[in-house]
Amino acid sequence: MSADRSQQVALAEGLARQEQVGPAVEACYAALRLDASQPHAHALLAELMLAGDFYDEAIAAATRAIELDPDCAPAYLALGLAYDRRGGMWDQSILVWHELAEVVPDLVTAHVQLGEAFSLAAFDEEAIESWRRALELDPAEARAMYNLAVAALKREGVPTALPGFRKAGELDPSQDELFFDLADIGPLPRKLPDPAKVADDRDSRLHAAGVLARAEDYFGAAELVRAQLDASPDDADALALSAYMYLKQEAGNEAMACAVRAVMVDRTSVTGMYALGVAYAKRPGLNRHAARVFSALAAAVPEHPMPHVLLAESMMGLQRYSQAKAAYRHAVELDPACVRARFGLAAVLLTENRHAEAAWEIRRAAYYDTRRQGLFWELYDEYVEGGE
Amino acid sequence: MADDAPLKLYHAFVDQDPAAAISVIEQARASGVTQAHLFDALFVPSMGLLGGAWASGEIDEVAFTQAAVVAEQVTSFVTPPSASADTGVVVLIGCMHKDHHAVGKNVAAAALKEAGHRVLDLGVDVRPEEFLEKVEETSARLVVVCAELLSTAREAGRVRDMLTSAGHTDVVILVSGGPFDADPELAKSAGANGIVHGAESALRLVARVADDRAGRAEA
Repeated sequence: MSADRSQQVALAEGLARQEQVGPAVEACYAALRLDASQPHAHALLAELMLAGDFYDEAIAAATRAIELDPDCAPAYLALGLAYDRRGGMWDQSILVWHELAEVVPDLVTAHVQLGEAFSLAAFDEEAIESWRRALELDPAEARAMYNLAVAALKREGVPTALPGFRKAGELDPSQDELFFDLADIGPLPRKLPDPAKVADDRDSRLHAAGVLARAEDYFGAAELVRAQLDASPDDADALALSAYMYLKQEAGNEAMACAVRAVMVDRTSVTGMYALGVAYAKRPGLNRHAARVFSALAAAVPEHPMPHVLLAESMMGLQRYSQAKAAYRHAVELDPACVRARFGLAAVLLTENRHAEAAWEIRRAAYYDTRRQGLFWELYDEYVEGGE
Repeated sequence: MADDAPLKLYHAFVDQDPAAAISVIEQARASGVTQAHLFDALFVPSMGLLGGAWASGEIDEVAFTQAAVVAEQVTSFVTPPSASADTGVVVLIGCMHKDHHAVGKNVAAAALKEAGHRVLDLGVDVRPEEFLEKVEETSARLVVVCAELLSTAREAGRVRDMLTSAGHTDVVILVSGGPFDADPELAKSAGANGIVHGAESALRLVARVADDRAGRAEA
């Protein structure tokens, strides 16, 4: 259904989008006093209550929204998250995520969440089925892959699960973001550079090549990197960027050759270290090498969470679970929204038989992941525009 | 190892000659470079040379890719062994009768296997007499009994009783599971020699038991 937004609800929405939770809640209540039959206002209130960790209130508001309109998708999302975060309500949670998957069948997150609810209720086969369904809808859905890796860990231990974590990590955009942060390449501009028109100097070439690589235009980027290497074959940054692009194209040995050369030329090259560590981590038997490189990278950029995560994964491969845990915890301290670190930490906690804490970390990952995606607002906007 | 060995390996890559590459590796091995060091001492420097040759334009993109294929073909000759060497230690692991909580057992068993121990996973819902049967069948001297329920943890002592009554007093029993973590006295009353608090703890305890036995055997 299409819902009309009253002025008061629009005000609440505006405040909520600015994360002014208190005033937004007041505006919601004011809107509901005027007209309590607006499902989107109840859904909005549920989301705000969730943001404030008032789970029972969030459940009540979301339930009311669904009673008023059983197709109110944002209310299902808020209700499912509220059940999950409250804990101990897995039966209800399964029903809600199932409903959301029916209301919005192509919503990948609904299937991921449904799987997590199944898993917490010990329906392992159903959980795996849900995550596989999510991956059918979106093969790049990292959280489904992380969950499948955790499921593999529970059945067959760390050695079987670790490649799954690394594969999920490659799907997770945060690993690529690390490289581009290290290479000082910001978000993509609206217009991509034309390799033929890039100024004929090192910085312009490498920056444009980095932007094109970020946009996955590897031909354009390679052309510029080649020009730079023709001018200066010992340019560690150009070599590291080449290594990155080879890694993205699954050319592990070419990547390793370029990365080794980059680090030989400049031992402090952080992009070179990144590419070398990733090239090592992709090969069985090289966890010790990967750990050495990622340890150096983590020391070089200690404020960035991802090198600590990569180090932790190598430590897992070396069966040094305590060190892995410390590195994961450090990553979570640096960035509580780091989904990969949360799942990794959950994996280490499972190796210590600390199942409840592991489940908590996975729930936090879900919370941050849905927030990062802006999923509530996406569903809410579709709903109020009547375009669901 | 000869100083020019990485250069020779690099040339073998570029010449697309896997046999020559293997010969260089075997020569390095024969000169005393261990498998664990071949990768760092030989392969990495030759890959650096390869990267440098590509960067300088000495070899083109096609030659670079073909050389990388040869490098791939010989990787297994230089990669450090991914699995740990066989320790010879046989470990029996299983969940107590009426206990189907397998996650802790699975994770510990996989970790022990990866560390080179000979792990025999008896699965879930294992009766004490099955532990005894397998001890006699395999001559294992180390048993890990997993129990995640208080009721099944309380029954873990039956494994010790069964082994003792059959004369296997030298078998080391380790117990694992939430009830033992919460109440170490439960492990003592079950006649256990130690408590496994997860995979890393299992590795540490089993290694200690193996070292003790090796020390006793030497003495």
